[in-house]
Amino acid sequence: MTTFNLPDLGEGLAEAEIVRWHVNVGDAVTVDQPMLAVETAKAVVEVPAPFSGIVKTLYGQPGDVIATGAPLIDFESVKGARNSSADAGTVVGNMPTSDTELIETAHAGSNYNRNNGTTNFPAGRLRAAPAARALAKRLGVDLTGLNGSGRGGVIIVDDVITHSSPIARSNTTPGASSATAARPSFEGGEKLRGLRRAMSQSMSLARDNVTNCTLFDDADLHHWRKGQDITTRLLRAIATGCQAEPALNAWFDGNTQSRRLMPRVDVGIAVDTGDGLIVPVIRDVGNRTTAELRQDIDRLKRAARDRTVTPEDLRDVTFTLSNFGMIAGRYATPVVVPPMVAILGSGRLSRDVIAVNDGVEAHLRMPLSLTFDHRCVTGGEAARFLATVLRDLEKDT
Amino acid sequence: MKTVAEFEIKYCQFLDAAGSLAAGAPPLASDTAELLKMYRFMTLVRAFDTKAVNLQRTGKLGTYASCLGHEAAHVGVAAAMHPEDVLIPVYREFGSQIWRGVKMSTILTFWGGDERGCDYTTAREDFPWCVPIATQMLHGAGVAMAMKIRGQKRCSVTFIGDGGTSEGAFYEAINLAGARALPAVFVIVNNDWAISVPIEQQTATKTLAQKAIAAGIPGVQVDGNDVIAIRHITSEAVARARRGEGPTLIEALTYRLGDHTTADDASRYRDQSEVKEAWGKEPLLRLRSHLMKLRVWDEAREGALKAECAREVEAAVDEYLSAPKPSTDEMFDHLFANPPKGLAEQREVARRYANGHHAAGHGAGHGRNGSDGH
Amino acid sequence: MAKVTMIEAINRAHAWEMTHDPTVVVLGEDIGINGGVFRATAGLQEQFGKDRVQDTPLAEGMIAGMAIGMATQGLKPVAEIQFMGFIYPALDQIANHMARMRNRTRGRLTCPVVMRMPHGGGIHAPEHHSESLEAMLAHHAGLRVVCPSSPARAYGLLLASIRDPDPVIFLEPARLYRLVKQEVADDGQALPLDVCYRLREGSDVTVVTWGAMVTETLRAADTLESEGVSCEVLDLATLSPIDHDTILESVVKTGRLVIVHEAPRNCGIGAEIAATVAEHGLYDLNAPIRRVAGYDTIMPLARLEYDYIPNAARIMDAVRETLAA
Repeated sequence: MTTFNLPDLGEGLAEAEIVRWHVNVGDAVTVDQPMLAVETAKAVVEVPAPFSGIVKTLYGQPGDVIATGAPLIDFESVKGARNSSADAGTVVGNMPTSDTELIETAHAGSNYNRNNGTTNFPAGRLRAAPAARALAKRLGVDLTGLNGSGRGGVIIVDDVITHSSPIARSNTTPGASSATAARPSFEGGEKLRGLRRAMSQSMSLARDNVTNCTLFDDADLHHWRKGQDITTRLLRAIATGCQAEPALNAWFDGNTQSRRLMPRVDVGIAVDTGDGLIVPVIRDVGNRTTAELRQDIDRLKRAARDRTVTPEDLRDVTFTLSNFGMIAGRYATPVVVPPMVAILGSGRLSRDVIAVNDGVEAHLRMPLSLTFDHRCVTGGEAARFLATVLRDLEKDT
Repeated sequence: MKTVAEFEIKYCQFLDAAGSLAAGAPPLASDTAELLKMYRFMTLVRAFDTKAVNLQRTGKLGTYASCLGHEAAHVGVAAAMHPEDVLIPVYREFGSQIWRGVKMSTILTFWGGDERGCDYTTAREDFPWCVPIATQMLHGAGVAMAMKIRGQKRCSVTFIGDGGTSEGAFYEAINLAGARALPAVFVIVNNDWAISVPIEQQTATKTLAQKAIAAGIPGVQVDGNDVIAIRHITSEAVARARRGEGPTLIEALTYRLGDHTTADDASRYRDQSEVKEAWGKEPLLRLRSHLMKLRVWDEAREGALKAECAREVEAAVDEYLSAPKPSTDEMFDHLFANPPKGLAEQREVARRYANGHHAAGHGAGHGRNGSDGH
Repeated sequence: MAKVTMIEAINRAHAWEMTHDPTVVVLGEDIGINGGVFRATAGLQEQFGKDRVQDTPLAEGMIAGMAIGMATQGLKPVAEIQFMGFIYPALDQIANHMARMRNRTRGRLTCPVVMRMPHGGGIHAPEHHSESLEAMLAHHAGLRVVCPSSPARAYGLLLASIRDPDPVIFLEPARLYRLVKQEVADDGQALPLDVCYRLREGSDVTVVTWGAMVTETLRAADTLESEGVSCEVLDLATLSPIDHDTILESVVKTGRLVIVHEAPRNCGIGAEIAATVAEHGLYDLNAPIRRVAGYDTIMPLARLEYDYIPNAARIMDAVRETLAA
């Protein structure tokens, strides 16, 4: 059986009144044969049969009002019948209609005046420049309670920077209304630019995001043959360590809690320049010969000092090596820069007196400091990595 | 096939180009007081028009649409109207407007770039000039509809040019007026040229008056340079409209002796010989001959009238030129009866930047648009 | 008080005002004995006669032009254009004369005309019957553009529009004509023009919308509430001039703004709202402003129209994105 529902006979008509039936129950009707006349709000119209079939039920008598979409006729044993609801609305209009009651409250307008709007701000609402909001989000600075120095008390970028600096922090006691209170004078000072500014920003980012943990140990280089290249040996050791503990050669995003183990070991080498720190990247250190690595190191160090390093040389670093020992210092707490998770520092080599069997010997040793992001690297992974690095470094060649 | 409808278009002329009066002319042809009054206004309008063109040529008026040669058509139509009727002009019917009391200084104010020139002190229900071609035809129909609904014995009189009859609004208006028997008179001033397009290229119809047939209303062609004929025919149409008998379409044949506007150079597209010939049919000449034949006019009176008109025009020009530049507030204050909040802010900005800064750019020391920018 | 649909509310507003103001006349195609294609004027000709309820010849430009002529004579024409897609021939008259008459005559002649027309899609109508062209009209100085979203506002805003001494374009969301019923007192009380209507109070995000999109937005706001998101919903109601102050006040409170309209996004009224909030409320925003609008394509015919018209799901996603930003 198929039910034919009253279609919308105009554009959005709600209902129609049956004027007269042209067919009776039991009649065989053919497609397009007039079945009944209905009167809508617009006109009296003839409704033809949608398909051929036998009339089984007529819904309603002349004078009855049928809602659009309500059953009109049941047919049986129809040929070529289509679901009437699927057919409705393609040829004629189908205005959404209901008896649903709308209950609403509508408040007209307001007395707000944007020109003296500053006096109307609800307590606790922050007013901040978009750039300040973006920086605060990046640096993890909470703007709540910060007094802006922009026009009308708007928080501006400088406020966020000041608030995020250690000096500001030390001077801001809980409940203090101004982040700039008791600020030391910077008269005659300079604004950080270039590499130093970049360092400042990346280190702040690291401080605010990374959970640093540092392990110290010494590599015994007593068995080294003559002419070993310290940097390339370090790179090889790192590659070997990463192979053993891939968790150290990874990227991590704390916000999304996502970690990506990097397929290749691309080591950034911290190069000290007059303008600041720069970290060019040696690619795929695990699959390169010593000579190739040395060539790359030399090229990049030169480029770093000439400031001709290309953005490609700085991009996509997976691990950092800081060879500060070439200058001074035995141990350090190097800083992991996100999204990396580890950095290895190598200190100044020295001949140390060490116990060998029952006696003492003087051995050349390299102090190592491994910092890892403890949010995603375990202490065990870090220690095993360091052990692997030590074993590799202690080989004679 | 049988004929189901037949039509004819009548042409009316009483005073020919030589000033000879045809037999059967209406009493107006010998009503010397009315003829002298019309002649006086036609002379005044020509003096005004000449002066306006000169003002534009000397940087003291903006673009201006000369009415040279149209004096009979414009004055004759206005003279047939009653004061309480409503005039809906195009943009050069100065003769009609001056007759109906619009001050010449007001006209100059508008064409000098100041909306205050549309705020007439008399004929306050008359429409201001209408630049979008033929749109005013529907205003004429609407005004007449209002009069009809209210049962008033008044009518609207709407002008249109020959080019305007090609617009849909022309037909829409006469069709509506016919269908609802509106008290409306539509006057086509056919001056042969729609800027550079001659009437033969505008339409294939022999007359423009016959377009009335499509609307089911009477259409009549009249010599638009014969002020007696144009006033007579328009008076009949006005009377008919006021009696509730419906609209009339009048085609007044005249010639645009000047350029389309001061920004136009008609010598680019029309033969000077044609203009020369048209000057022989111009409307003042023939009326003057007729008045002289009636022995109510002579050279002395002609000279006195011209001097008087020149003085009147000069006074109007002085009034126009001495009016201060409108306040920038004028841009904002007349937009709405209940202006939205935001406009007040923009008005403040305009006040800050417009005064002083921009005024320095105006020429001729009058603070007016000195150049014809089109 | 009776429960009425929007179309009935519009009909009652006409009848009330014609009863109380003899200068009101109603014009349009099929609006007399037929009561208009949507029955907005049903019964009016019978009640007020053929002079005041006039079937016009079939020409939209003519309807607008004659309304101007009638208005300058002191009548208040309320003219119906059968569908907004047919407004184009009337634009010359609306833009060049209706909107300008008061200004250009320094108030000597005025045009207190209401041009009513169905607006938007959603009724499976044929081609050219489903357009949302409000931005085009809002761009013209001297016009008010009004769009109700409920029977009560249709009644109150139409009365206000007829009583306003200047021209008003009154856009009636066809999809809402018979969608719901509402208690509306037929008491001749107009509602204020030029202001937004706050339909829902909220604290997390402001959603500004109008016409049929109000229904979708309220639906979205209901669902979002169950997720703990509190939407403040403003019905713009008068699309020109825009009540920027109410929008800004709400944005100052919530810090987030989503604008929803059925009309195409490009150069839509949403852009004007977003730009004004950026000019005056940028520092109050916690997130970029988002627009949910019709696509910048031709309004499709019936079978795709609901894929074109913004729905509650799109609105909810925009709100969520704004909250995540």
